[in-house]
Amino acid sequence: MSRQAARKAAPKGEYIETDSGNKVSRRAHITGTANITLGGRTVIQADVHLRGDLHPTRASTRTDHSAKEQYPTAISIGRCTVISQGVVIRPPHRATGRLHEKRAGIGVEYYPVKVGDNVFVGPNSTISAIHIASHVHIGANTVIHPFVIIKENCKILPNSIIPAHMVIPSGSVVGGQPARVIGEVGEGWGVSAGGMGGAGMGGGGGNGEGPPMWVEGGDLRELVRSIK
Amino acid sequence: MAQPFPYTYYVCDCYDSKTKVSAKRSSQPPPADDEDERTFDPRNPRSNYSLYPLEHLLYCEDCQQIRCSRCVIEETLNWYCPSCLFEVPSSLVKSEGNRCARNCYNCPVCISPMTVNELPKDPSEDDGNGPFYLYCNYCHWSTIEIGIEFERHTQITHQLQRIANGGKPIPTPKEREKERERRRESEWKRKDDIPEINVSHDVDPEPSPDDTFAALASFYKGQIQASTTSSPFSPHDLDFSSPSSFSRIMNMYTSTSSKKTKREKPTPMREAASTFEGLTLHDSTTDSDAIDRIRREGWSITLSPAQKHAQPNPNIRFTSELRPIATLLRTKRGKRCRNCRHILSKPEAKITSTRYKIKLLALNHIPKLHLRALPPPASTPQPTFGSSILTPLPIQPPFDYDHLKPGIPTHFLLTLTNPLFDPIRVTLATPSTTPGKVHSRVTILCPQFEIGANTDVWDDAMSSTITPIRRGSVVGPDGQIQSGIEAGKVWDKGRNWTSIVMEVLPGFLDERQRPSDLSSSFSSDRGGVAENDGHLGWVDDEDEELGVDDDVLEIPIFVRLEFESDAMGEERVVGEDRGKGDKVKREEAFWSVVGVGRIAG
Ligand SMILES: [Zn+2]
Ligand SMILES: [Zn+2]
Ligand SMILES: [Zn+2]
Ligand SMILES: [Zn+2]
Repeated sequence: MSRQAARKAAPKGEYIETDSGNKVSRRAHITGTANITLGGRTVIQADVHLRGDLHPTRASTRTDHSAKEQYPTAISIGRCTVISQGVVIRPPHRATGRLHEKRAGIGVEYYPVKVGDNVFVGPNSTISAIHIASHVHIGANTVIHPFVIIKENCKILPNSIIPAHMVIPSGSVVGGQPARVIGEVGEGWGVSAGGMGGAGMGGGGGNGEGPPMWVEGGDLRELVRSIK
Repeated sequence: MAQPFPYTYYVCDCYDSKTKVSAKRSSQPPPADDEDERTFDPRNPRSNYSLYPLEHLLYCEDCQQIRCSRCVIEETLNWYCPSCLFEVPSSLVKSEGNRCARNCYNCPVCISPMTVNELPKDPSEDDGNGPFYLYCNYCHWSTIEIGIEFERHTQITHQLQRIANGGKPIPTPKEREKERERRRESEWKRKDDIPEINVSHDVDPEPSPDDTFAALASFYKGQIQASTTSSPFSPHDLDFSSPSSFSRIMNMYTSTSSKKTKREKPTPMREAASTFEGLTLHDSTTDSDAIDRIRREGWSITLSPAQKHAQPNPNIRFTSELRPIATLLRTKRGKRCRNCRHILSKPEAKITSTRYKIKLLALNHIPKLHLRALPPPASTPQPTFGSSILTPLPIQPPFDYDHLKPGIPTHFLLTLTNPLFDPIRVTLATPSTTPGKVHSRVTILCPQFEIGANTDVWDDAMSSTITPIRRGSVVGPDGQIQSGIEAGKVWDKGRNWTSIVMEVLPGFLDERQRPSDLSSSFSSDRGGVAENDGHLGWVDDEDEELGVDDDVLEIPIFVRLEFESDAMGEERVVGEDRGKGDKVKREEAFWSVVGVGRIAG
């Protein structure tokens, strides 16, 4: 009931829509906004925490991107990606410098997180990966430890814990604690038969009566469209 | 792989179709409709091997049949390491034991990937000069625990091959060979030509598995050479991969020598008889030592079967004997139809590519089934015209598929999506009670219907005549849903999909819970089934004790579709009626299993 009351209090709706069609929940926690890029038509749901404040500091010493030096990217998320409720994205870090320096408490370097297009991240997952490629489906309550690389078309089962530095080759089904590759996705992964996405166009069929308009690992445009 | 409810699996009947072929050869041909009459039982243990999610199935256009992993032939295109993503040439795959020979290792305790870390001797001097060690970021096991450090952070495999647990260097194969020669000579000096069983503990208390293998290999090679001196082939060519020498070795264990009449009798082979020949003798003191050790240090130093199995030497017992596991290689594979050998899928050879050159998917040929609980009246959205904006509705708790209420009729929407470019006519069939120990009743309210063609989405959009929703009936303003469901009418229809209503009466997990009036009518039903068809296994189940997953409600659904398609020039249509014009009548049928949910106890 309390949630409903809160909804009514926000007449503008749950999401703020940007020019490029990103939908960001008013109840998302985003820190370091300047260090976060969203590719367009991407959804950030309620209670998502994006830690853009944990950005690389070394960028300031580089000379290649003089214009962007002020705002080094901490988190970049591609197009049509859905970050579900309660997800935390936290850039991975590594202690730098010599050991004796570490004792003095200096030298923690953050590395940017890159998430591709059409990625689905299930509710309450925590992500510190360095790269998640496109068309990856991540189940709920998954923990992805620092510096993990997930290649295209992978399915991460719910409640998995992916150990740090793990590389997951494309087309893998991954699960367990610690997670390991337990199988391969089928050849039809991410393929929606016969332009399923179009079903919603057939006159309001998307009102929850037609077939599902998106498949895991597929194009998430229709899912993004249905989130309001 | 377990899937969340509701799910649909599709049956590839390749096993049954094979038995059908063999049955045809027998004198009694089975009735033609026998195949269709038989109900698919998802509870049958054999069914595990024929149920697949749709995205895992391929389709052979020549055989016009679904193809599953059992009825395809796989061809390996290349091998690669899943961790460093380097391709391994096929010539090296065998010699490297199907494992990555770079720096990729998995933790022997928890299987997580390991990283190379530096362990500076002096904390103020971690200048990248090492030493280094392999470290598991998940369970924090490291090679320091087995006394192994590396001088360099590259070529770990090369370095690891030369360090035994504890840090002792392992002699190279050449050195080992020399050592064997030396021992062999010393032994022959001591003894006569006939070697006896000899335990030479003083030299090497425990030869490594590699040593034993090398010793046995050279011993058998010597045996083959000694017994084939009269052979016209050069003796060097004879190794274990040669079938003739292999069969000769096997002859030592079988007494079929009389079967073959050999022109010249080769010298009989003998078994290894000493440690330098590769004989391993069981020493009871190692067992008592192991028992003493467990007594002293407890069970925690022993290994789990899974940990042992992952080791290169699966006979080890203790954590101190663990070795880091070199990462197993993965393959990219193409698939062919087992029946006609046509290529069904072929990925691009490049490791980094995720594209396919050929990919014939079942989901482009058979309709997709999707089940969903019928939204309760209150949440049924009011039809909105020409607008996609929904009026905010009170949020209803989502349907709980994990707790289906027994004895309460529940309505589900079954949506079929047509991937074909022709409209199809569908006939569905299901047994009235589900197989298994819990008997749920299922009624498909509209078992015959049509689904529109999968025309281009934009064709639809361009022609402004958008297919209107043909709801079976209108939901009243008071939300009387029961009046909305009519037998024989489809619930909803779209461009290339049709939804129908299925009524499910989930069974009782405990028969005693069943209300008496329901129970009587139900049992008479069941009696009728038993009389008509005595062989139906689930009716006379003696064991009423529920096992794991007996509370899962799975409904087998038989799907039959008829359609007329364009006759392709290359399409071979045998025994099919040619329709008017260039249209060809086609028919397709398959079993599917819909996992509805779990019945609450
Ligand atoms: Zn098959
Ligand atoms: Zn590797
Ligand atoms: Zn570990
Ligand atoms: Zn074929």
